[in-house]
Amino acid sequence: MATLAAPAETASGRNPGFSLKWLGNVLAHGYVWVWLAIFALPFLATLAYSLRTPDGVWTISAYQYVFGSFKENLLLSLETTILTIIINLVIAVPAAYAIVRHPLPGKSFMLSALNLSLYTPAAVMGLSLVIAYAFLFRIPQTMTGLIAAYVVGTFPLMLVPVIVALRDLPMVFEEAARTLGATRMQTFWRVEIPLLGPGISAGILLTFVIIFNEILVTPFIAGPSTTTAALRVYNLTRTAGFQPSTAALATTMQLVSFVVVLIFFRFFGSRYLKGTYLI
Amino acid sequence: MSHAPAEVAIEYELADVPARNDFATPRRRGVVLVAPAVLVAVLFSIIPLAYLFQVSLTRESSFFFTAEYTLDNYREVFSRYPSAIVETVYLAGAASILDLVFGYPFAYILIRKIRYREFVRTMMTFPLFGPLYLAFGLFYILLPNGVLGPPLASLGINTAQYLFSTGAVLFSMAIFTFPFMVMNIGAALANVDPMLEEAAKTLGARPWQTFTRILFPLSWSGIVAGFLMCFGWNLGVFAQPQLLGSPKEQSVLAIQMFTKGLVQFNYGLAAALGVLLMVMAFAVTWVSLRFSRGALGA
Repeated sequence: MATLAAPAETASGRNPGFSLKWLGNVLAHGYVWVWLAIFALPFLATLAYSLRTPDGVWTISAYQYVFGSFKENLLLSLETTILTIIINLVIAVPAAYAIVRHPLPGKSFMLSALNLSLYTPAAVMGLSLVIAYAFLFRIPQTMTGLIAAYVVGTFPLMLVPVIVALRDLPMVFEEAARTLGATRMQTFWRVEIPLLGPGISAGILLTFVIIFNEILVTPFIAGPSTTTAALRVYNLTRTAGFQPSTAALATTMQLVSFVVVLIFFRFFGSRYLKGTYLI
Repeated sequence: MSHAPAEVAIEYELADVPARNDFATPRRRGVVLVAPAVLVAVLFSIIPLAYLFQVSLTRESSFFFTAEYTLDNYREVFSRYPSAIVETVYLAGAASILDLVFGYPFAYILIRKIRYREFVRTMMTFPLFGPLYLAFGLFYILLPNGVLGPPLASLGINTAQYLFSTGAVLFSMAIFTFPFMVMNIGAALANVDPMLEEAAKTLGARPWQTFTRILFPLSWSGIVAGFLMCFGWNLGVFAQPQLLGSPKEQSVLAIQMFTKGLVQFNYGLAAALGVLLMVMAFAVTWVSLRFSRGALGA
């Protein structure tokens, strides 16, 4: 947040007082700030609503539900997200390594097949999975099914940042380690994984932000025992209307997501998100 | 799960590092490393989607008992749902146009004038937390007795009239995909040398001429890629019409599909709607991949 330069800063040009250029700059920065406000506005409105009773009294009492009846939904969300991240890592990092460093037959076709779930609309993915789960795999409304759906939908997002990071990584480090007598596994764990750190964490960030808040596939495949927090928000708005307690849960979800994003940007910046959809 | 067709510009050629001598069987090793990912993709996206296509060719839920193969579902889709198709395309198109009109200046300012880009990018992640929270927040904003309702009402603006309207749905859709548009156009603009604009200005071009003759042609690929990406995402729109829309907006394909499949158990028809939606999304993605090659310098 230290880089937060006020638009007024641009006013201190060489030409004090009113000028067209100054006005243009103020308008330009103002335009961006208006949009930033619009991005944050739904969140701020939800926050404000969660802090108010219908009578207009300001209170934080709605948050007792977040750690009360919503607690298991939140825990389930965290659990599914963490499991998905772990499975994504286990399958995507070796795959990215193979795609960059090994000769493989039909590489571009294989990448398209791996990314198929990215190009399919989420609702279609949800419908195809609910049918397959019910009649083919026999795992309807289970945790296994939910996590499998999340993994197939997000491991390409882990794959891409790691591929980008691996491509930027010169072979010399790996070769030096091998020349100095490290085994292939030692090279991988002690040399390449640390150097790939930012790329891998970009994948973790993307998976976290998407899965923690996933609401496009979840309504199709989740059951009563697998209601994630985001799905609970959705179900409550559909059945109980717009309640401050629901707003409190939605606020908590967004706050957690935003804190994770802030931590990531603080450590790595946005460089390693290039080539993924987060600029 | 259509999480943005953006990883597009991976250069496969670079990946073809020649096999080294100490790798006894590099190809086999590579196949083993990539196998788990391929297995997951085959099991949970390729097989279910193929299955969906097969179900779309059977009558109602007969597939699960004695399958009756028929093309009736597709006939029904095109005879009963043309208005749903039009509504889906209209909402996705209008939201993408909004994104383009407001996103282009945003991307230009972000690339050319702003030094606190990291902060802007951080703030731009808010819409990515999902359409649900966006629609939810907008609902609160529009609610007559919400936080902003009374102050806006005293200014003579009745916010409640925008609840359950096309405008509210479009606005929430446009905010959701705004970052994708900014990303694509920004990537294209970052490759345009500012000197070109300076030169045009020096040679007496007006700002409008600089835009139409220099900036627009040079950022064309980014515009097309961004537009199609927004369009592709919004084709599967589900939560926003559900929470903020009137029955007209709620006729979009994704919601129809959910209702037919999971409420009325007409799997055949739901699958046919799904296949249609998928074909539309693939077509859009295919064209956008053609255009975005090089625009996203990944």
